[in-house]
This record gives sequence, structure tokens and C-alpha cells, in this order.
Amino acid sequence: MVLDSGSPGGATLERKIMSSSIKRRSLAAVAIGASAVLATAAVPATSHAAAKLKIAFVMGAESDPFFQAMKVGAVAEAKVKNVDLIWQGDPSVYSPATQIPIADAVLAQKPDGLVLIPTDPTALQATVTKAVAAKIPVVNVDTHVGDLTNVVSFITGDNADGGSKAADAIAKAIKYSSSKKFQVAVGLTSATATTNVARLEGFKAQIAAKYPNITIVDVAYSQSQPAVANTNVSNWLTKYPNLNGIFAIDGTNADGAASAIQAKGLVGKVALVGYDAYKKNVDLIGKRVITALIAQDPAQEAKRAIDTLVDYIGGKTAGIQKNVVIPNFTIDIYTHAKEKKQYTYVQK
Amino acid sequence: MALVTDEDVLYEVKNVSKSYGSVVALDNVSMKVRAGEVVGLVGDNGAGKSTLVKILSGAHRPDSGEILLEGKVREWHTPHDAIEAGIETLYQESGLAPHLSVSANVFLGREQVKGGLLGRLGFLANKEMDKQAFQDLKDVGIAVPESNRSVSQLSGGQRQAVAIGRSVAWASKLILLDEPTNHLGARQAGEVLNIIQQVKAKNFGVIFISHTLPHVLQVTDRIVVLRLGKIVADAPTSTFDAEKLLGTITGLI
Amino acid sequence: MTTQVTQAPSTSSRVKGLFKNQQFILVLVLIAMVAFFSFKNHIFFTTAVFANVLSDWIPVVLMAVGETFVIITGGIDLSVGSTVGFSGVIAAFAMRNLTSHNVNQNETLAIGLLVAVAVGAGIGLINALLITRARIVPFVATLATLGAFRGLCIVTTGGGPVGDGPENAINLTVPKYGPFNGPGLVVVIIVAVIGLYLHKSRFGRYTYAIGSNTFAARSAGINVKMHLTKVYVLSGVLAGLAGFYLYLRLSVGSPSSGQSGELDAIAAVVIGGAALAGGIGRISGTVLGSFILTTVTSGLIIIGVAPNWKQVVVAILIAAAVFSQGLRNWTKGGE
Repeated sequence: MVLDSGSPGGATLERKIMSSSIKRRSLAAVAIGASAVLATAAVPATSHAAAKLKIAFVMGAESDPFFQAMKVGAVAEAKVKNVDLIWQGDPSVYSPATQIPIADAVLAQKPDGLVLIPTDPTALQATVTKAVAAKIPVVNVDTHVGDLTNVVSFITGDNADGGSKAADAIAKAIKYSSSKKFQVAVGLTSATATTNVARLEGFKAQIAAKYPNITIVDVAYSQSQPAVANTNVSNWLTKYPNLNGIFAIDGTNADGAASAIQAKGLVGKVALVGYDAYKKNVDLIGKRVITALIAQDPAQEAKRAIDTLVDYIGGKTAGIQKNVVIPNFTIDIYTHAKEKKQYTYVQK
Repeated sequence: MALVTDEDVLYEVKNVSKSYGSVVALDNVSMKVRAGEVVGLVGDNGAGKSTLVKILSGAHRPDSGEILLEGKVREWHTPHDAIEAGIETLYQESGLAPHLSVSANVFLGREQVKGGLLGRLGFLANKEMDKQAFQDLKDVGIAVPESNRSVSQLSGGQRQAVAIGRSVAWASKLILLDEPTNHLGARQAGEVLNIIQQVKAKNFGVIFISHTLPHVLQVTDRIVVLRLGKIVADAPTSTFDAEKLLGTITGLI
Repeated sequence: MTTQVTQAPSTSSRVKGLFKNQQFILVLVLIAMVAFFSFKNHIFFTTAVFANVLSDWIPVVLMAVGETFVIITGGIDLSVGSTVGFSGVIAAFAMRNLTSHNVNQNETLAIGLLVAVAVGAGIGLINALLITRARIVPFVATLATLGAFRGLCIVTTGGGPVGDGPENAINLTVPKYGPFNGPGLVVVIIVAVIGLYLHKSRFGRYTYAIGSNTFAARSAGINVKMHLTKVYVLSGVLAGLAGFYLYLRLSVGSPSSGQSGELDAIAAVVIGGAALAGGIGRISGTVLGSFILTTVTSGLIIIGVAPNWKQVVVAILIAAAVFSQGLRNWTKGGE
């Protein structure tokens, strides 16, 4: 179960659960209101409704900058392809319990195609079955349902590739050479989150293959809390006086590690490679606190999803790949401002 | 003792009635306590004893009737009003704060603070209070080796002694004791009765509420018997024996 | 004839004396821990590690000191962790706003501090009203505010950290006086003053009295509702301070800050010797209890043991603390 692919800070299980049911009811009304506004915005009043395709996105959590960035890409591509966009998801709760009713409501609107970002591989399988039965083609983005047989395409960022790119970024930052020994540590959020595991595996594999003189001396878990990540990194910085670099596997760990390095006066002395291009962390690259960030490209994922569905509905199935991996992008101090801006996630 | 005049009356209720819904708890009750007199208030369960205690202590207000202290009509809005006027009540269930010291309990709610700025900030004059509490308790015949000792380390009788001592220390006129010898062994109850005698000697009025008739007969000067919300007897203790008192309470005489 | 206190048997009083001084036992535990961690990795016995421990200790002790008052009254405040998070987030929004209007950094931080404290006081007041006016038991009332304010942390931030505040925030958390940073020293003073206040003032006396016997406190003329209100507001204010400190430390307001902080706070108080039933507890115990917790955290990282062991160690300490409390009650004898 993929829970926090590119979600902010520590958007893991606890956070989703923390979003208590108390607020859920009141926010449902807000969500409906917001989506109504959105739908009107995306559908010009003068649209020739009969001719236009209607494509629905059912995503994880509206408030998540990752999905906000994805929405920017979806809105832009909908305009280009002249399709009506239905964008729906819970305001903040990443959970099948809130997603399934939203998906049902969206299917009732009979869209021509559905882009589904399932919050749970098993629970959302029925939604795919229902859609296919209603002759609505389905694309999965970011995460996927357990059985992909009836899914037109699965488009995702590549976490293992991200880990591998992080290894490259650290090696570059610490000026890797085969004549010296290097120490790095990895800050994770949990031992089981699949994104964490895939990124760490990619990181380890690349180090083993290309940078054998780098030793991973420690890993620790932040439990989604920057303060915990800060404690972990503060102690590492004391424990390993010769630590060369830290790979912070998500936004939470990047926050904690960045503040710990600053407080210990080790900015520029310990390389810090983070994940996800939240604006705050992109800014910290400018201050050299963060050496590099591995950015996913949620906007690109959305664009590909819309293109795939438009092609599929138009009968152009030849070029459609069952599994599309969108490569990650490494942002560092040398990245051009324009690209930095492009890859920085939109955030409120 | 039987020949006290009305000028000596310290505390008095006149024609007091109290109902809870359709239940008449007290029906036109009048009673008096004189300074230096121990009045026993007895009655069966439901006779109206605890209602009368609550009215006397200011916890409840009567539906009709008057309360007079030293001949003046008074109204108690809260128990605090009664306390301010010099009437201390020792409730059966109140007890002491077991985690606090003897002196902290004696001074609870009336702490003395240090002089100067610290005092204004609420810092306590613990040594002075310890000393004072020791003296106050000694005055009524209670000797606690150290008054900074925690109450939880005292026996049941000692706790009750401290509780009574606390009331005596603060009362200026009258003490209401609601079942003070309940749950105490014979020796400890004897100690409590002994304290009551000393309080009386200091010219306080005492109202002693109890189910334990031998204690009532032993310590009181006069006995008021309540039955079904009415006063059925009000006479010097010397006119009762155990059998007569029980008969009056139950209505079999 | 006068009543006399019968002396407890001397053998049991000696056992009692041994277990009575919980603080002494806690100091021994702490020394043993430091010795163990230092033996495993000599780096543990350095100022730098002590600075790390202190930095973790500050938010925990702030929450735990407030919790000590609450627990002594016989109540509980489960909302302190959420208060830390929410006060930090709201202060971060305020400071981001001020920074974007080019307000001077020190003024911005001062206002941020006031905002965090005000938010904490507000949450404390809500708890107090739920408990004293709506008559909801403290466990349920503060469980509700725990959920509500953690939820609001996420609603207001969208789940991400709130940055773009004053840049010198983080500098305040750099150790300046040996292992202490400026805010750390202030917190030490605050804790000392509050400790004196609990043990030496009328306010403290009432706190114990209410937890020891609410009825006795009320009959003694203490305004129990008003006092409880003050106690829960104090707990909120201290949690607000903790939220502000975590903001300084991270230089962002994180919606997950303080998550499960209430468990650390309660653990520190219980290890420190307070009884959840009320009437018992000392600030010195809470200070040591929170030190033990944060020492374990850093110690396990330094010696390279999986941090999940912390929970096991803490569980053992809590069990030991409660056991020794039972033992003390048992040795009290008397009745």
C-alpha cells in the first residue's frame, strides 16, 4: 500500500488517520463547494458540451502540495486538449473511506474517462470494475490498484530512480573519489512505507554499484515529525564527526535535517539531499542548507494521464504504454531558475 | 444548665420549613443553641436531620422561617457566609485532604502568607502555620507530634480529631458536628467526645448530630429529636435514658 | 487526656525512608543511564550530546510541568501535544505574515511568542470550560481537544510546514552557554519558578488540596472551578511555549509537531512520582522524569539501537515508578 508518494512533510498513515472524523463532516460541505467552483472554472459557459470530452480525476487529498501541483498540470493539459476536467478528492484525508464515495459520485456524472489515484490498492479495485462496466476507461496515476488488467495505463514517478539520483547528488556534493572513505546517513519516515523502501533500495543499489567508498552508517525514523528527524540528525552530527552527507527521504526529514545542520553550524560541511520540491526546501538550496532535491513531476503525470485517455477514447491505442514511469528531476544550486520554478510544487 | 435565659441564645432557627418537590423534609421546625451548650440533634434516617444541618450551615436555604445569630436575623447564601459569621461545620463526608500536612489542613482555605512581596505573590508562611496549628490543636486537647506531618499518616481517630480541631480553631461562635464519631473505635470516639467537652468549656455553641445514642447521652446538655420533619422532643439530656431516647426517635413512646 | 500519634514500626519506616525519596532513585537511574550509554559509546559523555538532550528536554519538560499541576488535581490533559502543534503553526503563520511585511526579526519573534502563548492559553481555557462548566471528565474533554486541534493543524496548513519566518529563529537554539541555548536557560528559570510556586504558594497548596480531596477543598471555601480553570490554562500556556520552542528549533511551524507529546509528558510526570489519582507529585520528579526520557532518546541513537526500544525502556520505567508508589503506600501501614 503506497501511502505517501510525494506527499508533504510526513504524509504517512498517522497523518491521514489524525485527520479526525470530527472535521470530516463539516469539510465535506467545503469540498463540494470547492469542487463546484472548480468545475465551473474548468467548463466555460459557452462550451459545446456535446462535442467535448469529460475527464475526471479522483485523487488523494486536495490539500497535499503534490496533488496541487498535479492539478496545475491537469488544468493546463485539459485546456490544451479542450476537455472538461472534473477534479475531486477529499480536502485533506488520504483514505479509501473518504475516497470511495467521492469516486462513486464522480462515476454518476458519467465522465468519458477516469484518472484514479487509488488510496488503497484493494479497496479501490471495485471502483475500477464499476467504471469499466460503465464503459469508462481508467488510468492510474502515482499509485495503482492491485489488479491492473482493466486499467489502460499506470503512470508514476519512479521512487527507486529517485533514490538512485539522490546517491548521485550526494556523491557529487561530497566530491566522491575512490581514494577516500565517506560516511552518509539516511533519514526515513517509517520502516514500512513503500515509497520510503523503494527510495532507500534505489539509493543503496546506486551506492553499491558506483560509489563503493560511501558507507551508510545509520538510518533512523522520523515518525512523520520534523522534530524527531531533527533529534535524530542532531545526534548523528555529534556521533559521526566525519559525516559527509545525509539523504532525507521526504519533506519531514528534510525539514528536521536542515534545521539540525543549521543549528550545529554545519551548513556546507554536511551535504543534505532531500526529496520533493516543496517551495521552502527549494529556497533552502539557495541558502546552501540543502544540497539537492529530487523532484517528482506530478504535473507531467497528470498531462500524460489526460493525453492517454484522450488517445484511448479517440481510438489511437497504438502508442499507449501499459506502464509509464516519469523520471525524476534533480534540483540543485546550478539548476536554472526557470526549471526550479517549473518543478517546485504549488503550495498554499 | 436548664435555667439559661433567652438572652444567652446564640443560634436559633424559627419556624423553618423545607420541601424538596412534594416531599416535606422539615415542617415548622424551631430550635436554639446557647453559648457553652452542646445540643444533640437526633432522629431516624429521613427524619430531616441532614436537611436541618444544611440549613444551619448555609448550604441550603429554608423555604420559610428565620435564622437568627445572636438575636439578629441572618440569611446564608452560601456556606461561606455562615463560616464568615463564625459558624463552622464538620461534614460527615468532608474529612481532610490526606496528602496535605496537618497544618495545611487546619489552615486550608485560610492560609497565612509571608510578609512583603513574597506574600503578595502568594507564598506561604509554612513555619508560622505549623506552629499555630500545633498550638490550636493543643488548646482543644489534640497533640500531634509534628503538624507538618501528612494527614495520611494519622489514624482515623486522629484525623477526626484534627478535623474537629480545625473547626474549633476557626469557629468564633458555633460548631456543627455531623456524625463525628462515625466509623471510630471506642477509644478514638472517646477522644473525640473529650474534645467536644473542651470546646464547650471555651463557651462555643455545639450542635452534635449522631446516630450513636450513648455518645449523645454522654456529651450533650440538651437533646432535640426530629421525626418525619417535625421536632417531637426538646429537653435536657438528664431527662432521657437510652430507652426513652430510642422510643422518642422511633415514635414508640 | 489527649490523642496521640502511634509510631509506625521501625523496620517498615526504614523501608519507607528508602522508597520515599523518589527523586534520589531517579537521580540514580539517570546516572546509571549516562554511565551505560557512555560506556557503550564514549561520545555520549560530551557537551554536544548534552546539548542535544537539553534541546529535546525543553519542550518535554514544559509540557510535563503543566501536566504535573493537572495530574496533581486528579485530572489529565491529553491535549498538550496538539497544543504544541497548533500554537507553533499559528505562530508560524503570524511570523510569516510579519516577515513578508518586512517587520524587524526580533519584533516578529516576540509577537510569535505571544501568539503561541495566547493560542496555548485559549486551548487551556477551552479544556477548562469543558471540564468545569460542561462537566465533561478531563480525559474525554482533552481527548476531544487533542483530536480537534491536531485536525486544525492539518486543515490550516494543508499538511505541510509553515516557513518563511524570521531567519534568525534557528540561531536562538544554538548552544551559547555551555550546552545551554538562550531559550533553554529561560525555560530552566521558568521551571524553577513554577516549581517554587507549586510547592510554596497558596496556588500550589490548592492544587494539591483539590486532587487530594475535592470535597474538603470546596468546604474549605476554595473556588475549585476557578482553580481548575487556572491549572488547565497554565498547562496550555506551557504547551504554547513548547510549540514556540519547536518552531525556533525547526524554523518552521510543523503541523505534526508535538504529536504524541502528551504521552511523553504524562510518562515524565508518572516516572517523576506523581499519582494519576491526584494529590501527589513534585516538579523535581517531573524534571528528572523528562530528563530520563530525553536521555534515553539520544542515548539509543548514539549507541545505535533502534529507537523503538525507547518505548520499551519508558514502559519499564513507568511500571517501576508506579510499583514503587504502591510500595510506598504499602509501607505507610497505619490503618
